[in-house]
Amino acid sequence: MGFGRYVTARVLWAGVVSLVITTITFLLLSAAPNPDVQQATTQAALQGGDPAAAAERARELRGLDEPLYVRYFDFIQGVYTLDWGWSSSRSQPVLEAVVGALYYTAQYSIPWTILTVILGPLVGVYSAANMYSWRDHAATGFAFFGYAIPNFFFGIILLLIFGVWLEVIPVVYNTDVAVFSVENVVQLAIPVFVLVTGSIGALMRVSRNESAEFQNSDFMKTAKAKGVSPLRAYAYHVMRPTLVPVSTTLVGQLLALFLGSSLLVEVVFGIPGLGRLTFEALLSQDTNLVLGTTLFFTFVAVVGNLIEDLVFTVLDPRISYDDR
Amino acid sequence: MATESPEQFDQVDWNDLSRSGRFDLSINSIGMLVTALPLALLGVYDWRFVGDRTATFEFVGLDRTLETVDFLFIFTLLLAFWYLVLPLYQNPRRTRYYWKEFKRNRPAVVSLGWLGIVFVGGIVGPLVMNAPQQELLIAYQPPVFTSVVDTTPATCVGEVINGRCHGTWQHPLGTTNAGRDVFTMIVYGMTISMQIAFITTTIVATVGITFGTLSAYAGGWVDEIMMRFTDIILSFPTFLMFLLILYIYGAGLGMFIVVFSLFAWGGTARYVRSKSLSISEEEFIKSSRISGASTYQVIRGHVVPNVASSIITQLTLLIPGFLLYEAQLAFLGIGDSTVPSWGQLIAAGRSDLSFAPWIVLAPGIVLFLTILAFNFLGDALLDALNPEAEAENA
Repeated sequence: MGFGRYVTARVLWAGVVSLVITTITFLLLSAAPNPDVQQATTQAALQGGDPAAAAERARELRGLDEPLYVRYFDFIQGVYTLDWGWSSSRSQPVLEAVVGALYYTAQYSIPWTILTVILGPLVGVYSAANMYSWRDHAATGFAFFGYAIPNFFFGIILLLIFGVWLEVIPVVYNTDVAVFSVENVVQLAIPVFVLVTGSIGALMRVSRNESAEFQNSDFMKTAKAKGVSPLRAYAYHVMRPTLVPVSTTLVGQLLALFLGSSLLVEVVFGIPGLGRLTFEALLSQDTNLVLGTTLFFTFVAVVGNLIEDLVFTVLDPRISYDDR
Repeated sequence: MATESPEQFDQVDWNDLSRSGRFDLSINSIGMLVTALPLALLGVYDWRFVGDRTATFEFVGLDRTLETVDFLFIFTLLLAFWYLVLPLYQNPRRTRYYWKEFKRNRPAVVSLGWLGIVFVGGIVGPLVMNAPQQELLIAYQPPVFTSVVDTTPATCVGEVINGRCHGTWQHPLGTTNAGRDVFTMIVYGMTISMQIAFITTTIVATVGITFGTLSAYAGGWVDEIMMRFTDIILSFPTFLMFLLILYIYGAGLGMFIVVFSLFAWGGTARYVRSKSLSISEEEFIKSSRISGASTYQVIRGHVVPNVASSIITQLTLLIPGFLLYEAQLAFLGIGDSTVPSWGQLIAAGRSDLSFAPWIVLAPGIVLFLTILAFNFLGDALLDALNPEAEAENA
């Protein structure tokens, strides 16, 4: 299988996966009682009307009386044409709400990702180069600390120390400040720090262990014997082969954090991003918005895995396409 | 088969060692059956004959009830005892070797000690300590050796010196805003954490090993379909799906455990598959095949045991994730509020953080230490069980 065909097959597969997940979501939703219908029934019963008729009317209004497959195709069509419906709790189209929230999520996600990607392998390789020194132990300790401390707990503690006791950072996130301003940097510093400590640990460990293998390899000895400077030797001969296995950990790590912890961090720091949007939609029983945010995160996960696989094959020519 | 004195090959009575049929049970399986049967009967009895609000042990006059999760937990404990602890005792030589390897990693030994405390506390604690009661009068007691301004607690249990209320040994970690003892709540939280750890690990290991070996041995298009299915499981955003399920149906601790473990075995299955593929190429598999072993015997006797020991590391590293998710859900206020988990305690203390930080700090630090311990343990097990990886990880 050539590279082109591999990419095509992989992209098609990503499409299939997203379709499967969307279908499962649809089945979950259609098997459950619709909160809107329940609401209409309750309202009718309270006002002395006929609950059954009200439920029937509400179902008709939302097209729930159609057969399952018709609703399914409508649903799939809506999802893939980005027609995600109307959010009743926010009184705006779901897509608009998602894009608006993404603006805030991106403000901390981008610095966080960049810092993790740059610092993780660097510290890992550095710690491998100084293996068993106090620097290595310090880095390892930091990695385990960041990996083990629950992000939301760490966030609360830092917010308590810097926000409440020292009053260095604002306790409540301020949406009015400009994106590229000192205030914004100050208020996003702690969330970014929390997320970086959470994601950098695994990356540091993997790059440390992987690069330890290349330290004593023949090509490293040759390079040293030829008088290549240590910086160049590490940058060219150790870093590059290390990055291949690291890249697979990286995407998985970042995605897991993005999908799980960013929600918590947004709730803790009061950032009105995607995570909080999902959370608030859940609390206010806004089905369309719950669905929209869930599907958005799902697509991010699918695309992330796709990119990971593609990057992996580009980076490492030894991988044959047939094995994957 | 404890082999204290080295046996001589020609003196081995092969009739003793060979198993006549596939239903010839080992002592471990017999023990498992004997202990699991009463549990199953009790479960059926609880499910069919005991009313929803009646305690399970009403018939012997005990006011204790067992939930579905408790039954599963006891079952996994039995599994762990008969198939993990007992084999270690049966093979003292191998156990000593593992322990020697393991002992070299000091943080891991400390971690094992900590996890032992959490385990014993989780099992014994609820039996000897009463569930924390709400007592508004003694709300916000500070932990022992610390003090707060005496206006914070409603009444101070300890002594008041210079207008500051000092903590007492009666409430070593202080009390919450409802006057519940934090230490007791943490002990009760240990049970929840251990339940999550044991049940999820069992489910993930069972599904992962079965799926992986089947896929490796079936080969061809069955393998292809099974692995693509694993891909879907792997790219499933479990946390969000759980939120969705929670939103639609509502979910308790049992549902949490089931959903998260049913979507976590993807990595294990992949690993087991590649491992069993490489094991089935080994010489000893070929020789047992030549000796007439059936595929079932090869898988049951050689492939699964070899694979199982190497996925222990992976399973150990999965547990902290589950504990973290549970705490996160509890913190968001959408977890199972009927169980006294650490996350619930953190969530409960959050609004009082600025003047009563111990309510959040104590369970948070315990959670942190437990996650840390599982990570250290996984690292050390990797070295102890898999000497090849040592070069990389030492």
